[in-house]
Amino acid sequence: MERGIIAQISGPVVDVEIVTGDLPRLREELTVEKNGTLRVMEVAQHIGRNTVRCIMLSPSEGLSRGLAVDVPGRTIQVPVGEVTLGRMFNVLGDAIDGGDPIPPEVPRRSIYRKPPSFEEQSPAVEILETGIKVIDLLEPYPRGGKIGLFGGAGVGKTVLIQELIHNVAMEHGGYSIFTGVGERSREGNDLWREMAESGVSGKTALVFGQMNESPGVRMRVALAGLTMAEHFRDQEHKDVLLFIDNIFRFVQAGSEVSTLLGRMPSAVGYQPTLANEMGELQERITSTKNGSVTSVQAVYVPADDLTDPATATTFAHLDATTVLSRKISEQGIYPAVDPLASSSRILEADIVGKEHYRVARRVQEILEKYNELQDIIAILGMDELSDEDKRTVARARRLQRFLAQPTHVAEKFTGIPGVYVPLKDTLESFAAIIDGELDQYPEAAFYNVGAWRDVVEKARKMEAGEI
Amino acid sequence: MRNARGHLTAELRSAKEPTKEQLSRFAAFLEKKYRRKVPLEWKKDESMGSGFKLQAGSDVYDWTLSGRARQFQDHLRRINTGAEDILPLMRQVVEEWSPAAAPEEIGEVRTVDSEIATVTGLDHAQYGEILVFSSGIKGMVQDLRRDGLSCILFGSSEEISAGSIVRRTLKTAGMPVGSAYLGRVVDALGVPMDGKGPIEPETHRPIEAPAPGILDRQPVNAPMETGLLAIDAMFPIGRGQRELIIGDRQTGKTAVALDTILNQKGKNVVCIYVAIGQKSSSVAQLVENLSRRGAMDYTVVVSAPAGASAALQYIAPYAGCALGEHFMYQGRDVLIVYDDLSKHAIAYRALSLLLERSPGREAYPGDVFYLHSRLLERSAHLCDELGGGSMTALPIVETQAGDVSAYIPTNIISITDGQIFLESDLFFSGQRPAVNVGLSVSRVGGDAQTKAVKSAAGAIRLDLAQYREMEVFTQFSSDLDEATKRQLRYGQGLMRLLRQPQYAPFSQHQQVVLLVASLGHVMQDVPLEKLEDFRRGLLAAVEEEAPDLCSRIDMTGQLSKEDREEILALARRYLKKAFPEKEAR
Repeated sequence: MERGIIAQISGPVVDVEIVTGDLPRLREELTVEKNGTLRVMEVAQHIGRNTVRCIMLSPSEGLSRGLAVDVPGRTIQVPVGEVTLGRMFNVLGDAIDGGDPIPPEVPRRSIYRKPPSFEEQSPAVEILETGIKVIDLLEPYPRGGKIGLFGGAGVGKTVLIQELIHNVAMEHGGYSIFTGVGERSREGNDLWREMAESGVSGKTALVFGQMNESPGVRMRVALAGLTMAEHFRDQEHKDVLLFIDNIFRFVQAGSEVSTLLGRMPSAVGYQPTLANEMGELQERITSTKNGSVTSVQAVYVPADDLTDPATATTFAHLDATTVLSRKISEQGIYPAVDPLASSSRILEADIVGKEHYRVARRVQEILEKYNELQDIIAILGMDELSDEDKRTVARARRLQRFLAQPTHVAEKFTGIPGVYVPLKDTLESFAAIIDGELDQYPEAAFYNVGAWRDVVEKARKMEAGEI
Repeated sequence: MRNARGHLTAELRSAKEPTKEQLSRFAAFLEKKYRRKVPLEWKKDESMGSGFKLQAGSDVYDWTLSGRARQFQDHLRRINTGAEDILPLMRQVVEEWSPAAAPEEIGEVRTVDSEIATVTGLDHAQYGEILVFSSGIKGMVQDLRRDGLSCILFGSSEEISAGSIVRRTLKTAGMPVGSAYLGRVVDALGVPMDGKGPIEPETHRPIEAPAPGILDRQPVNAPMETGLLAIDAMFPIGRGQRELIIGDRQTGKTAVALDTILNQKGKNVVCIYVAIGQKSSSVAQLVENLSRRGAMDYTVVVSAPAGASAALQYIAPYAGCALGEHFMYQGRDVLIVYDDLSKHAIAYRALSLLLERSPGREAYPGDVFYLHSRLLERSAHLCDELGGGSMTALPIVETQAGDVSAYIPTNIISITDGQIFLESDLFFSGQRPAVNVGLSVSRVGGDAQTKAVKSAAGAIRLDLAQYREMEVFTQFSSDLDEATKRQLRYGQGLMRLLRQPQYAPFSQHQQVVLLVASLGHVMQDVPLEKLEDFRRGLLAAVEEEAPDLCSRIDMTGQLSKEDREEILALARRYLKKAFPEKEAR
């Protein structure tokens, strides 16, 4: 029913005067028809005089004052459940993959929900096995936790994300939701094609609101993806992986509309509500007694400024951080995770077990020691080191190479089949290296392999001259 | 005509007083049209002649002679001018025309500032619509408020005065497009500036159009050769890629773009150069340069010079992009250069502040990221169903004192698929193009590089990286061992090899020959100052002795092991000939 008229338009922010009936509540959806297409906006404020101020989720071009506005009396809703798997959606829950539209009888849920209550919380104390050695050993991902992925361009951020989707979907029967927030449309296309080729698309839903779309879309698309993930957690008791690339764009979109909404700008022009907006989103990403939602979030650092309010606010919500380093990718070690800069809250003896803790810390110690020794080696050479230090260097170099791992996603570039290494094998292998049980094998045998048996096998082949 | 409480009233002007019957007919018409009784008032107006003018609210029914003539004029304008034989069409249109009692909305200018005007009336104006002021100047609606609207002006605000009349055009901003634009210089509205007469457009495209969606694209897989060895070998650009050219002023940013345009000669690529906020004389010089080298035949220059209004500078890249899209959707390959987007951001900042939108970081409005992201996302490699066309964008951004981590540069770096960073230190030390190897990157072009260049370029980036590290490491040492000296000399040679004068693009086989020869350490002992002569001589020698090889590389883009050996052998032979004394040593 048409109940309002457009009173004022200022870019993506539109004022609507409600003529009949009650005012729509905050976050309710309003629609306006123009040239046969339905445009959607969302109530952000009541500003008096029977007027609501809205954020457009569609372009504003072509709208005029006096157009009739429909008040359907609901918030934005997206389809949920099995039907979403293998499909690609926009923020409004419409399929954008060229396939059949989602049938109307499919259940839909509002993108706004309360975070699970205190009572429902299930603290993240369990490891989510990823099959990637460096992650499982040194910065284990907590099931139901939040992981931040910091990395510059071209260090393999996308490959790592895709590998995680692949491994968790294949080995766990878990579902993944990929949410593209304000990134390049080209990347969306690449991901869609790669998912179809690698065969993981049947367990994955994709939601995109890329950088060519209006700020309202980029603000809400993360919630749309999250809602689909929550359904799998709450109704189907699944373990879900939620990928958000890039969480910074969510904050940025909020700051684009904030001043148009008439709010005073806060530090460096950000919205005054930055921390609340981030908190509302992040608090919903949590494990409950029903199932877990694990999120992997890429974080962009604007103006190379780590103290930027958007970046700093994200830090506070993370349980584990994976730092991808250009220095390591230059050495040809992929995934290019910096083993000393990355961290996880659950790397504690109580949670991961005494043996895991011992191995992980010992690996870090050896790598750290090697870092310290590198300057001495550069000046004096290896011969000047004590026998103890020589052994440390030899093991560190083996560890460094062993942290590389062939990935399934990169298989078509490298021709080397990807491997999934179970946590048990990872621990066994690293324990064997730090305890010196594999000292007799050459360094090159450790590079780009799976577990310790592969090292032995590779060394045998090298000796036999097969490779 | 809407009084204070919002009631609609109507006013009738004519030279003669209407009869009672006429008045009642008017009243009936108004009641039918506005679905309520509208009080009607008559005013005597001698200028109306035999006609009349009825104004109800902001709607005007102009039934004077001049009003009907204008209606006829508008009607004629709608004829499709692309048609071959226009006369029968015109006859038909004229016969079909009958004057209609259609309302026309008019508004009144309330305030004028240097770049914007506010207008009252025009209740139905659309966001983004073009308005025409009585002096003929156009404006675009940017803000629709309860009590009026604000628009940005595409011309000088001096010719607009408060109280003058504004008309709607019912069109959102569009750009006339077509092949006839090739070889021309136009302003941001598509009006020719080169004095070569009017341009016949094929059609119009809106300047703000949605970018191709996720499924409308395909991966970048064909090279867009710049002809610059430093870029094609290390930071290859693919068709449909967005590659930023960034650097301080006077570091050769425009020269890189210009060389790329020149290198597209004969490759069936449409080039568009958008000049934003530039000196008119620089643009004129560039056009002169392009036409002298025969590149204007496939190039359009869209110019919004520094003297143009901020609104024109703001829409210029979108207009150029619309022009490019016309060709892209025809399945052609397009190269578009935005020179430069920092001035574009500044023009947009001026408009935003004048429109009273509050400032954020560096006083830019909050949506300055969206300003550029929606522009650059329109460059794409379309999927085959849409014709497989592509638009490659080379946006240019000027940094201050080499600071790439400022706000606008990082914004655009995060939008594009890589950047080529030009450094003034390198530029002034004679290393031109002054590409900084460490900070430049191309995220997708590697897939688009031809196999020949890819295999020839091999590890040149790693070699250069090692050289740079070594250079820093050894800069304070006086006595170096022979191996280190040799490596330093090799690195210096590589850097020297990457120097390339302007307007001298290398073709694919030339690049391959140079890369194979230098990475094969053939040029190792050539003195640096003689390297340029050696390079020229070597290319001439190879082209003369093995023309088949050269054309095979150009045609197939492949480089076999035998080809490589052949090039190395040719290069060694030439080295012997050019420097017989070296051999003796």
